Amino acid sequence: MFWSVTMSLLEGLWTSIELFLLTLLFSLPLGLVVAFGSMSRWAPIRSLLKRCPKLTFLQRIASRCPRLADFRPVSSLTNVIVWIIRGTPLMLQLIIIFYGPGMWFDNNIWAFGNGRMVACVVAFVFNYACYFSVIYRGGIEGVPQGQREAGEVLGMTKSQIFFKITLLQVIKRIVPPMSNEIITLVKDTSLARIIAITELVKAGEAYMKSDGITWPLFYTMVYYLLFVGILTILFNRLEKKLDYFM
Amino acid sequence: MSILEVNHIEKHFGSVQVLNDISFTLEKGQALSIIGASGSGKTTLLRCLNFLEKPDHGTIKVNDRVIFDADDPTTQIEREIRKKRLHFGLVFQNFNLFPQYTALQNVTLARELLAKEKVGESQESIQKLGIELLDRMGLADRANHYPHQLSGGQQQRVAIARALALQPDILCFDEPTSALDPELTGEVLRVIRSLAEQKTTMIIVTHEMAFARDVADQVIFMDGGLIVEQGDPKQVIDHPKEDRTKKFLARYSSEN
Repeated sequence: MFWSVTMSLLEGLWTSIELFLLTLLFSLPLGLVVAFGSMSRWAPIRSLLKRCPKLTFLQRIASRCPRLADFRPVSSLTNVIVWIIRGTPLMLQLIIIFYGPGMWFDNNIWAFGNGRMVACVVAFVFNYACYFSVIYRGGIEGVPQGQREAGEVLGMTKSQIFFKITLLQVIKRIVPPMSNEIITLVKDTSLARIIAITELVKAGEAYMKSDGITWPLFYTMVYYLLFVGILTILFNRLEKKLDYFM
Repeated sequence: MSILEVNHIEKHFGSVQVLNDISFTLEKGQALSIIGASGSGKTTLLRCLNFLEKPDHGTIKVNDRVIFDADDPTTQIEREIRKKRLHFGLVFQNFNLFPQYTALQNVTLARELLAKEKVGESQESIQKLGIELLDRMGLADRANHYPHQLSGGQQQRVAIARALALQPDILCFDEPTSALDPELTGEVLRVIRSLAEQKTTMIIVTHEMAFARDVADQVIFMDGGLIVEQGDPKQVIDHPKEDRTKKFLARYSSEN
């Protein structure tokens, strides 16, 4: 019995790990894109006015309604998306993404081999990218302006400043909050069961339903604890590695 | 021919005018001190020279070449601004050293990046220059320390070496000792003094009146974005002509 439980939980664990890794793979870079979106300072009316100061109707808008002139569409749209995604349960997003297309358009776009898993990864990636973006933004904005100015005065390009000066300081700042979020992701993978993916918890719970035994449920805890334990060690190492500067 | 010629610079932040018709010249090998109360526009002026702010009006000439003209967009092309910046070096009030690099790496980084762009100097010669500069700052033994392992005075001296590494025509100091404990200002002022003795062209924004009087060849007193008085340091600081200068200096000596 113990052996068969172990094997089936390992299978569930593998599904969880798959979801975990795929989510990180896509949401870490996507989060950066979202972060830059939310920090975008592009205000179309203001910038058009700068380029062609003679457009009188724009001048009228700018003087009568400076708020409209300073409207930043990219930043605003991104912030609304982040608000919606962070403001609603991931479980709900998962249900909508998986069942929505079939219900509304009579077209279940997830009806292929591991369509369930793909739908799940999509939901997780969007959700986590939004959380990561806020952490990134905090890290980027936390680097003092003087660092960038020092680079500029030394004749560095924008990309040299980002990669040679800002980036490592951002990484150092975001490691603790990122480790928190990533550990949360480990346990959030259990939400995948809502669209019938047999991840770790569902694998353990199956024995409760079929054999009336509960110890496999506690057994799943061991897997989670080991998983999170390994991550904790990795993050502590990373933090130590970045300890050489302040 | 003056190395630097600033003509009719004006700068507004919103409706506030921070710089009002600033004009002055600087000769090669001279040191210019700018004094004045906080908010008088001294720092903004330095930032304009270093292209950290864009003046709304006026021109800046270096070695008789116009490098900035507010009315001529061809002098404001991003790519060229990067090169033009290298005429100037800037030492910040709060050092702004890069925390993840050692003292030596702080000094050599920018030069290494420039050398990479257009194959020039070798890595070794840049390293040698970096060590030499730190040695001149009395910091040869601190080359491999990170900024947080250094005192404020040492950090500021590394920052001076970093600015010197690009061999700017004009080295600017923005209140280089204002963020330091009183007992640490001496070592930084000594370094700047020795640079003046070696005929480094410098613009020094400072609150250290005695230092300005001793080191500078020329002093500008600014108030409310205007140059109120300018001339020989002993004359401006010891025998000011203008009422506003007198008031400022009187308040200053009573505070110290």
